[in-house]
Amino acid sequence: MFPRFCDGIDRRGFLRMGSLAGLSLADVLRLQHASGADATPKKDVNCIFIFIIGGMAHQDMWDLKPAAPAEIRGDFLPINTRVPGLQVSEILPHVAGVTDKLAILRSLTHGDPDHTAGYHVMMTGQHPGFGGNFNRNVTNNNMHPAFGSMVAKLGRNSGSLPPYISVPNFLNSGGPSFLGPSYAPFVIEADPAAPEFSVRDIVLPEGVTGDRSLRRQSALRAINRFEQQVDQVSRQEQSLDTFYEKAYQLMTSAAAKQAFDISRESPATREAYGMTSLGQCCLLARRLVEAGCRFVSIENGHWDTHRKNTESLRDLLVPALDQGLAALLNDLDQRGQLDSTLVVLTTEFGRTPRINAMAGRDHWPQAFSIVMAGGGLKRGLTIGATDKQAASVTARPITPSDMAATLLTALGIDPDITLHTPLGRPVQLAGGGRPVHELFA
Amino acid sequence: MRLIEVRFSMVSSRLTRPILDCLRRRRGWSPEFVAWALLFAVSAAGADELPPLQRVIVEPAAVELNGSNRVQQLLVTAELANERRVDVTHRVLVESSDARIVRVEDGVAVGVADGAARLRVTSDGLETFVPVRVRDFVGHPPVDFANDLLPLFSKLGCNSGGCHGKASGQNGFKLSVFGFDPAADFDALVKEGRGRRLSAANPELSLLLRKATGLVPHGGGQRLKLGSPDYELLLAWIRQGTPAAQAGSPTLLRLTVSPNDRVMDAAGRQQILATAHYSDGSVRDVTAAAGYATNASLIAEVDRQGLVRTGQVPGEAAITVHYMGQVASVQLQVPRSAQSTPFEFPSQSRVDELVLAKLRKMHLVPSELADDATFLRRIWLDTIGTLPTPDEVREFLADRSPDKRARWIDRVLERPEYADYWALVWSDILLVDRQKLGERGAYELHRWLREQFARNRPYDQWVAELITATGNSGTNGPANLFRAVETSEELARTISQAFLGVRIECAQCHHHPFEKWSQDDFYGLSGFFNGLERKPIAPGRVHVYHAGLRETRIPLSNKLVPTRPLDGVVFAETGSDPRRALAQWLVAPDNPWFARLVANRLWKHFLGRGLVEPEDDLRSTNPPTNEPLLALLAERMAGGKFDLKAQMRLILNSRTYQLSSVTNSTNRDDEQNFSHHYVRRLPAEVLLDAIGRATGEPESFPGRPPGTRAIELWDNRLPSYFLEIFGRPERTSPCECGRSSEPTMSQALHLMNAPEVEAKVSSATGRVARLIQSGAGDEAVTDELCLAALGRLPRESERTIAQKLFASSSRRHAAEDFLWTLLNSYDFLFVK
Repeated sequence: MFPRFCDGIDRRGFLRMGSLAGLSLADVLRLQHASGADATPKKDVNCIFIFIIGGMAHQDMWDLKPAAPAEIRGDFLPINTRVPGLQVSEILPHVAGVTDKLAILRSLTHGDPDHTAGYHVMMTGQHPGFGGNFNRNVTNNNMHPAFGSMVAKLGRNSGSLPPYISVPNFLNSGGPSFLGPSYAPFVIEADPAAPEFSVRDIVLPEGVTGDRSLRRQSALRAINRFEQQVDQVSRQEQSLDTFYEKAYQLMTSAAAKQAFDISRESPATREAYGMTSLGQCCLLARRLVEAGCRFVSIENGHWDTHRKNTESLRDLLVPALDQGLAALLNDLDQRGQLDSTLVVLTTEFGRTPRINAMAGRDHWPQAFSIVMAGGGLKRGLTIGATDKQAASVTARPITPSDMAATLLTALGIDPDITLHTPLGRPVQLAGGGRPVHELFA
Repeated sequence: MRLIEVRFSMVSSRLTRPILDCLRRRRGWSPEFVAWALLFAVSAAGADELPPLQRVIVEPAAVELNGSNRVQQLLVTAELANERRVDVTHRVLVESSDARIVRVEDGVAVGVADGAARLRVTSDGLETFVPVRVRDFVGHPPVDFANDLLPLFSKLGCNSGGCHGKASGQNGFKLSVFGFDPAADFDALVKEGRGRRLSAANPELSLLLRKATGLVPHGGGQRLKLGSPDYELLLAWIRQGTPAAQAGSPTLLRLTVSPNDRVMDAAGRQQILATAHYSDGSVRDVTAAAGYATNASLIAEVDRQGLVRTGQVPGEAAITVHYMGQVASVQLQVPRSAQSTPFEFPSQSRVDELVLAKLRKMHLVPSELADDATFLRRIWLDTIGTLPTPDEVREFLADRSPDKRARWIDRVLERPEYADYWALVWSDILLVDRQKLGERGAYELHRWLREQFARNRPYDQWVAELITATGNSGTNGPANLFRAVETSEELARTISQAFLGVRIECAQCHHHPFEKWSQDDFYGLSGFFNGLERKPIAPGRVHVYHAGLRETRIPLSNKLVPTRPLDGVVFAETGSDPRRALAQWLVAPDNPWFARLVANRLWKHFLGRGLVEPEDDLRSTNPPTNEPLLALLAERMAGGKFDLKAQMRLILNSRTYQLSSVTNSTNRDDEQNFSHHYVRRLPAEVLLDAIGRATGEPESFPGRPPGTRAIELWDNRLPSYFLEIFGRPERTSPCECGRSSEPTMSQALHLMNAPEVEAKVSSATGRVARLIQSGAGDEAVTDELCLAALGRLPRESERTIAQKLFASSSRRHAAEDFLWTLLNSYDFLFVK
């Protein structure tokens, strides 16, 4: 017979799947499930995905151009790091000590300066389809599943924890799109740096003791079992029941609940990550993947430095990131979990080469940097390069689809799997991107 | 299921006898044929018990082969004495009188050389003869790029949306998806890539052939075998100098398939015959070149040769056949194998008769009538999105009159919540999104919708007003549709999906893969909105008016297309608002989609599943599970002057709607024929209101007067964790598909543990507190809580559960725990 198509399925499969218009996605997923067609991940790697909202200034952090004129290079100097020849910005002193654990990808490029589109393309690997309409007033309707939802769908079982968790809020492009709400993230809408931090709905409400809860649960089982006896539970009810089971597991699994309880960390560890939102999110994420969660996405905002770029980065934004990221990599490494945890630091786009009249930098999607670490990827290197002004990619362009393929490959998921939209249009999981092979040993 | 297999082997045994006879005679058989016949002989078993064959029908009755139509699939159908028709294409013996003229390979006549011959088709002692004529066969006639080559690229998958057909192409080589743009494809092959894809000097060394055959590395692997007929065709085209098109070559007019519908057994097989018809009257067998898709692969699968295999699950499937922009479909029914036991089904109307006819055909026994309490809760939730109160339940249960259901249906349709609930339903479809429209716009459009339902204004009238709306969007609600949808192209998509059930968006960029719609149709429709102006008059307000018809061109090709409704006449009037003509066409009683879509929507709303699914995808290739029923419902809609309440009354009064969701052994898996009621989870807003009502502590919404219910909210962005996790839609696509009832873990956690829910359950002013304070006994409390949450009195098992709780803690806590249990139970969360 024919080998597989470049779309990853044979023709017969295509014909069968091509009629999605006639089947609900849930039907198809159920069929896939029944036929065992879910892709089996090769490895057991989890992901901590840090998204910088607003656009991270690559030339001020990861790809410095000290030889450029002042209005281009900005105010920061490069410093040497643990890896000889690999330099980062002076505002990243902690990171400079862990560059042997990470890779800097300096040649990301996608070309859409719109926040919404940039967010979407960097969270999903695919452009949302509306473009050229700067800061267009549309919600992010998630035309493609976010990486976390792909992992929830295609990755391994996550035990008592949800497979995909977002903290400290829902990430706008972090939804499941057409995979359906079952693959949406479990959202922790609370900041783990806050003293009163707790996770919504996983503990019993005030006034309900453990005894009462047990009585409620056994009454609930009894009342629903009446129907099971007459063999009358509909598919819809069964499927809700599955989630009740999972919810109950989470409520009753001490280990799972402890994973959310960041106060169990020693003050020293918490301090090491920094008592900031980003630092504590990183620490919580480490606890969650340790307890079985497959994908934690962290959002960190206010990086849209159109004015006072230098001060914003140096005083408000970078220190928390510098400390949190370095602590996370150190901690994972010391615990022997760096190879089984992929850490990604990414953003919508970079910022303009030339500093503007308000001492800020504007949106720049033509060339920017992201960081990947752990997950079995090679460490202590940079990939790709930009020109003298950090304005365009001169070597090894990496598209968001390539980033998607890299991330998925590292997590053991075949990036060439084909999904079908509700209209039946085939789309490749990673949009046809190729993994950055230089990162794989 | 075993029975069927045995029956099939009986058929084959009977069909095998002539094969064995022939083998004995050994006259002029190819070795393959003998092997094939032997295979059949080996598989033969059993005795004859099927009704005898009446006759054998071979399609086509005469085979014409020529240079362009080089093979012909045969379709052989046996008609049994009981009038059943069974496909025997792959079970009969077909022999050629002259193998130098025509060969036969597995049911396909393959031309060899010019001449005449005949085929003998033998089955069960019946012989049928098919004349064959082969002309102009040797060498390839001039190859026509569009008619001959593009279908090949589709067949091999080259131009599929996942490969070279995707918008960005694949590795620098881009073809139009499904071959919708022959000129661009010709350029891509012949002119682009510096002409390296084809080699005139050395046709065999053309990159196209070397890639496709896998001689050089190809991401798509080997698609083509060296020396195969497809390979020879490509090679012939290159040798002929890669002509673009042949002068005077015919155009493809239509695609026909045989059979159009068929009742099949489980684990059965059916060959499909696909024939293309051209403008010069010629026909071609395209069975092997066409694409096939099933809409229900559990019931029937189809392979690339058009061979259908049914599975073990009874039901109905439609096979879509597509070839070069033309589509056709085959409808298949697989009844349950066992005849159904006799049952009573007193029809209330023609609706029930049509449902019943289908149940009989599929050998399904319908469920019993739902009991009174279930019925009442169902009509309340389905019609007004509201739980009945304990008093209403008691009153209904106590009503002894024989026509009480009909009277209570009338009663629920007159409730004030009716308008709130249906305005909510339609706000989803019509994109009433506060984020897009602003507060004023969303409020005005919602309020206008609510008014239409409050007045029960005929559906055609308010739709016509909506799509022709002009004026100030701050005061004229419907004008906001043109703020929700901002371009002519988006309006074409929205209008066709929301009111016609025609999903034409595919045709914006390429010919619709499963429908006849082309870019001309798409831009013809969008032309009606070309010239629509939105003049800003204040922040968040525009003046909407149409400045008159304008030219519409297709982007990229710049082709001018006339403004024209789907399958309608060209509109060229200037000086009037073109939308009026569009509205007239849209709501006309003879519009083939308008009444059907709303009829299907209402049916789905009440029955849980559309006659067509998805409900707004009325393609000819996505046929309804009960066409006569949908036709009747559409006819009632149009004939009844689009009176929505009258239509609801018809549905609600049917026995079909009033069936129980409790299934029997025959209809448990049925999801197509309405043999039982399909349960659904309460929609987000309805559920939140239901919790408020059951607990006696309604939700309060910031900035809204106390007592405002969730179903009344016009602001779809009003912050509410509850509504978000239970699937309130963002209203970004013109359908109800954004509203999800899929379960998630967050929902379960929230219902079990949320302090907000617990506060309602244990509120000092809530239902439990009031009941306990009233001094009601344990039993009375149990009854009342069941009535409030589930709309019925408790079952014995539930009384026992309650007694246990009352025995284990304080009465207040016990009652709260019981209410908590009810709120998390299936019977509360679902409409049963």
